[in-house]
Amino acid sequence: MKNKKLRRIFDAFLVPVLAIISGLIVMAVMIRISGAPIIESYQVLLEKSFGCEKIGFNCPLISTLERATPIILTGLSATVAFQSGMFSIGQEGQFLMGSVMAAWLGYAIQLPFGLHQLVIIAASMAAGAAYGYIPGLLKVKLKVNELLSTIMLNLVAIQIFIYLLEYPLRADRTEVAHSHIIEPTAILPTFFRGAKFGWGFVIAILAVIGVYLYLWKTKSGYEMRMAGQASRFALFGGIPSDKAAIRAMIISGALSGLAGAVEVLGVHRRIMGGFATGIGFDGLTAAILGQRNPFGALIVAILFAGIKLGSQLGLQLKFGIPRELGGTITGFIVFFVAARKFYENNIERVREWFDKRRAAKLEEEVN
Amino acid sequence: MTHALEMKGISKYFRSTDVQANQDVDLNVNEGEVLALVGENGAGKTTLMNVLFGLIEPDEGEIFIDGKKVEINHPHDALANGIGMVHQHFKLVPSFTVAENIMLGIEPNKAGFTSHKEENAIVEELANKFNLPVDPTARIRDLPVGMQQRIEILKVLQREAKILILDEPTAVLTPQEVKELFVVVKDLASKGYSIVFITHKLIEVMNVADRVSVMRAGKMIGTKKISETDIPDLASMMVGREVILRVDKDKSKPGKPVFEAKDISVSDVNGLAAVSHVSFNVHAGEIVGIAGVSGNGQTELVEAVSGMKSLDGGKILLNGKDISKTSVRSRRDEGVAHIPEDRMGVGLNLETILDENLIVSRYNQSAFSRFNFMLSKEIRKFTNSIIKSFSIASAEAGEGISKLSGGNLQKIVVGRELSGDPSFIIANQPTRGLDVGSIEFVHKTLIEARDKGAGVLLVSVELDEIMSLADRILVLYRGEIQGELDAYSTTDEEVGILMAGGKVKEKSGKQEESVK
Repeated sequence: MKNKKLRRIFDAFLVPVLAIISGLIVMAVMIRISGAPIIESYQVLLEKSFGCEKIGFNCPLISTLERATPIILTGLSATVAFQSGMFSIGQEGQFLMGSVMAAWLGYAIQLPFGLHQLVIIAASMAAGAAYGYIPGLLKVKLKVNELLSTIMLNLVAIQIFIYLLEYPLRADRTEVAHSHIIEPTAILPTFFRGAKFGWGFVIAILAVIGVYLYLWKTKSGYEMRMAGQASRFALFGGIPSDKAAIRAMIISGALSGLAGAVEVLGVHRRIMGGFATGIGFDGLTAAILGQRNPFGALIVAILFAGIKLGSQLGLQLKFGIPRELGGTITGFIVFFVAARKFYENNIERVREWFDKRRAAKLEEEVN
Repeated sequence: MTHALEMKGISKYFRSTDVQANQDVDLNVNEGEVLALVGENGAGKTTLMNVLFGLIEPDEGEIFIDGKKVEINHPHDALANGIGMVHQHFKLVPSFTVAENIMLGIEPNKAGFTSHKEENAIVEELANKFNLPVDPTARIRDLPVGMQQRIEILKVLQREAKILILDEPTAVLTPQEVKELFVVVKDLASKGYSIVFITHKLIEVMNVADRVSVMRAGKMIGTKKISETDIPDLASMMVGREVILRVDKDKSKPGKPVFEAKDISVSDVNGLAAVSHVSFNVHAGEIVGIAGVSGNGQTELVEAVSGMKSLDGGKILLNGKDISKTSVRSRRDEGVAHIPEDRMGVGLNLETILDENLIVSRYNQSAFSRFNFMLSKEIRKFTNSIIKSFSIASAEAGEGISKLSGGNLQKIVVGRELSGDPSFIIANQPTRGLDVGSIEFVHKTLIEARDKGAGVLLVSVELDEIMSLADRILVLYRGEIQGELDAYSTTDEEVGILMAGGKVKEKSGKQEESVK
């Protein structure tokens, strides 16, 4: 019983793990081309991403977790949508909506510490949820493909974000637009001096557990998964699929909005030009590589954050390899996951080969 | 004596599903002979034929044609050796003409240009030679299924096959078309062709074959001459035990109507009328059979009755209450059970575990959820009770179901739908693709439900099933009810005529054949 469960988890994650290994092999080739030593590069990469001599300031592992925090949340956002059969890639737009809301309420209202953060987080989640509701409604009422509508809405969100940042929220006339710093009462506390690692990560972990319980232990979650996995079956069984789809988009949007709030309140404390782009896309990747499982998304988000940080702080500073290598590698990993048929065929072949060998050995022993 | 075709010691093991599909199987066919190959689903017939046709590479075994050993690694090799296959699902291009389909890939051409005239002439000649008249210029999509099958056969003959494999050829045909097919098959055999006829309908075996080979669980159980065997004998060879082929049931004692359809119309996915102005009712304690050739509105009728599709017109009543506009869930809560025709795509969710499949229609009830939380302990108990009372072999609570056999999957569906004593049961093709043992189980369960007072609407394209289960028979033809018959006094022929769109004169003793 336990064994079967382990086996299933092993099977589910075999392809992503192989894809990551393949990505690292490609990375080795690129490191070689850049003229840096391969083994040392990997050592540095590991050290500057998951290493830690002393907990606290200047600990790469802590920085990795800090960077992973918004990706975990957007990853959960995509996970909820995918599990409900909505191929939404609107995390980026919902994230921006949540960020703008947090940046504005962070300085525009005065509330006591504690309450201030809660109000902002709730408002950011609502903003993200509202932005997720639009494609959900379009899908259910007008059968608009959610993939297309979320791509478009991402572009719209970027323009709204830029407008709000450049005009109403702009703090001063500096070259790069940025908003006012948020009030001290709105800041999400950090655990160590000098590092931005703090309550945001705790919120992300709680969200992982919450999403897991919601999807697998509640009626609403059951409805969403059934509608996502087998729509005809859901219709046949009397599951209200349309409601489930809209609910999925609202929750998905709220999680991305939460990511925005956490990033603003915990890390940047304001929004500025070029604010945290790519977090939505990274979350999407984390959800896919994580096999649409909340814990899978958590692991992949941390891994990706580590690879990026390691290439930036390690490879770039030490060997002069461009830090974009990190992004290239994550891109390759996604590419290898898309080629999953290739891995599956070869896994099958390897297994057959082992079986044949075992059979041959047995025969030898018998003779 | 050398055989036209001989397969020796064929073995094939599928690692991914851990199934020994064929184990040391021998099979031979003589020239001018019809060999029936029978066996339950999963007995290994299809694997064996796929090996012969070059679609699967066997682990072991040899194939001989006219005594000569041949290597078949690809369908091209099979055709080159004179082996042709008519698949269960036709592989014809609907928008092409008959001639274009038959000559597909072997078009006569001059410098790359084909001539329709020439093609048509070749097909005409071919059709005459085998006495299988067709119109070479007709488009496939305009032809009835029986005719399409004839074209598949011609296609294989044009490629000079001497050995024809027919994979469940009668599954899609009306009784009349089946008769015509048998004439064609026997005629081909008399011309020296060898025919392998795959089926699991034993009546057909007795009617068409010279010899019969029976497979079970990947092994060849035996081969017999038709003159030396009978249906009960073959059935027990197939399942490995005695089978009660006739369904034992008492005459129904219908109560008051549980379900009434009044003048209902339903359209298909393209918005075209699929069911038009149909009225009927189902009483408590009776099984009403809807007979008809597949595609005459059965799917749409069932979807409308179950609530999966909305009505275009008319009314449906359940226990006297109008449910025309209510949701699937509220109908289910009122006591409607539904065994759908597509168990893999509609009746079950193969991606999730058994437990979640079993609660789809009742997860909302207070027994299984409190507030928004599912009561997993109660659900597990329910799952185990269904496994036990419907003896679903190899299914386990908390485990996936995608690797279970068709029979076990159907037991899950039937178990879920019939637990909780529904008052009205819709059973659409409840035994399609099942083996003899599972069919027996489903039939018995439906009759038990009837005897407990449920009204059953049985939709099936298997005439035998309708004849043995139903108390009353309605024949659906082109979306309308072509006629109603009393199951206890009617005959296969009467139902068959109605299925083909003909009329039966009532009580005149003799039926009048007036097809269209």
